[in-house]
Amino acid sequence: MTHMKRSLLVFTSGATQIFFALYVLLKIANINIIQLPSEAMFIPGIIIFLASGYLTASYYFGDKKNNSALYDEYTAIRYYKLGAIGYAINGIGIFLIFSTQDYANWSLQTANTMIYQIASFAWLIFGVLLVCFSIGDFKEARNG
Amino acid sequence: MGKNHKNLLNNLEELRRSAGLTQKDLSERAGVSRKSINAIENGVYVPSTVLALKISKILKCKVEDIFLLPN
Repeated sequence: MTHMKRSLLVFTSGATQIFFALYVLLKIANINIIQLPSEAMFIPGIIIFLASGYLTASYYFGDKKNNSALYDEYTAIRYYKLGAIGYAINGIGIFLIFSTQDYANWSLQTANTMIYQIASFAWLIFGVLLVCFSIGDFKEARNG
Repeated sequence: MGKNHKNLLNNLEELRRSAGLTQKDLSERAGVSRKSINAIENGVYVPSTVLALKISKILKCKVEDIFLLPN
């Protein structure tokens, strides 16, 4: 594993998450720019599963010298800070989604829509974080 | 002294250049990313004790020659 490889893997995963999260969010808002088959919704999950599996395997079984630079203390702190920002944004977003529901006219349909809103919002933030992580790796690969 | 963190003054850039090393060289020998060395030199990041000792060993100097507490 190298910084460039990790950057590509994480960017692909992040961009896919953003695309599908935006697709769901727009669909909830009744904006149908494109129409995807429901099976396509498995794509981001499969990509994340494969990418995280590959990253985990390379962490445990990959070259130790490369890994010490890939997972060094500064990178860990940078990821921690970005992750903390992501958690905060997710927390605020989910709070807002909960707060803006019309509980007077609550139904299974509105509950279902809220679940979609929460899931796609969290998904979107997760994707943005992955893209942010990948930009850091790309810079390291380019300048390193 | 180069650009400093509020809790730690550092002289890393000067000592690294004196040793004829690039950030990339130093990062490879210390087993960290180049970004870590850059962040330490620019006072963005305070390294762990282990990393500070590794750097001082590579640059053949004392940790106190590289890092200093402000007053």
